[in-house]
Amino acid sequence: MSDSVNREAMLESVALYALGVLPREEAALVAAFVANDDDARREYLDLRGAADALAHTAEEPVDSARSARMKERLMARVRSDAVAAPTSIATRRRAQAVYPAWLWGTGLAAAAAIVFAVVSIAQDVNLRSNLATAQRRAGTLQAQLAQSERVASQDRRTLTDLLAPDAKRYEVAAGTVVVRRERIYFAFSKLPPLPKGRVYQAWTAPKGSSKVAPSVTFTPNPDGVAVVALPVDATRVGAVAVSVEPEGGSKAPTTTPTFIRPLT
Amino acid sequence: MDPGVRLMERVRTRDIGAFEALYDGYHRLVFGIGLRMLGDPASAEDLTQTVFLKIWTAPDAFRGGSFVAWVSRVARNRALDVLRSKAVHPESEIPADLPLEGALDDDVFARLDAQRVRDALAKLPPEQRGLIEMGFFGGVTHQELARRTDTPLGTVKTRIRSGLRRMREALGERVSR
Repeated sequence: MSDSVNREAMLESVALYALGVLPREEAALVAAFVANDDDARREYLDLRGAADALAHTAEEPVDSARSARMKERLMARVRSDAVAAPTSIATRRRAQAVYPAWLWGTGLAAAAAIVFAVVSIAQDVNLRSNLATAQRRAGTLQAQLAQSERVASQDRRTLTDLLAPDAKRYEVAAGTVVVRRERIYFAFSKLPPLPKGRVYQAWTAPKGSSKVAPSVTFTPNPDGVAVVALPVDATRVGAVAVSVEPEGGSKAPTTTPTFIRPLT
Repeated sequence: MDPGVRLMERVRTRDIGAFEALYDGYHRLVFGIGLRMLGDPASAEDLTQTVFLKIWTAPDAFRGGSFVAWVSRVARNRALDVLRSKAVHPESEIPADLPLEGALDDDVFARLDAQRVRDALAKLPPEQRGLIEMGFFGGVTHQELARRTDTPLGTVKTRIRSGLRRMREALGERVSR
């Protein structure tokens, strides 16, 4: 397939990205392409404008009762400033007490009460055990959801930064270094394939220094595409570099860097 | 200027009145996006609550630009979160979130109205319009669009690109950068 056909296919993907119908992995690839191609960026901005406008068609009248209820519910939360407050221990204890409460009736004969109490305690323990299991499961699910939201939030920020008009872009071999605020990204669209057992490794040099510090390692996809966020404060970095290193990375570059790029 | 932008400046100072005005002005849009994407009023109501609480608790998340465009993306992204959490679709069938900062100038959305966009959308050939609407509000990927409409993937891509280009032409400079 020729480069021009490939490019046309990527531009079609830009439209899909603007509409928001690309899965996460493909979206990252297109973001890397857009970050490296001025025409693609213009196309994205144009089509994104048209796609954003679609939101207007969703606006619909909300019936007055629902609207009033929604507003009351929201404003109560806002006014009480109880936004996102975790469930209190007292609330949880009350919830736990719901299960055994019916077991503690009065008016039973003393002997029966003893037997019943034994059964009740056993059931109480059982219910508490079930509740604890359910709470653990809920905790696990909540942690998974929080992790998923963190990943989504990171993706969202990366894509926003890569496409932001106010980002600084530095062309390098096979891609672009994108700097926005305190964040640095590599957006590669055609990195050469790696020999077996090797990875690419990023390096950073502080401002005013030529001494490089090791950063993340990464492997591009089969098309040579990679989007990499460097875990470093961009405001303190004077230059970045990439070299090919053994898996696991190196403490200092062991090969001639693929590029060294001052961020000035 | 988008009136939402001015209201957000006041919301940052914890002005409840401004927040209430913001809600009055934009809850129909957020609710509508929720309804279109999640399919039931109760979920749309929860989504509206979540989005506006987020605005109140983290107003700095809005970094300027068009408020309407921003809140639309927040609502759409949140709806995608809900679809993910429901796990009705496999992860790969949920599209990536949209970046929250975008292409539009401050007042572009203020110059647009729903009827004008609906008219532009209505002028598209049905096969383009259907894919674009299903894609934007359906919370599904292009592969899923191809499956649902029994259309080759390449055709889906071409139709979406052509449709968005026509939309842009129809809306003219209203969506220019």
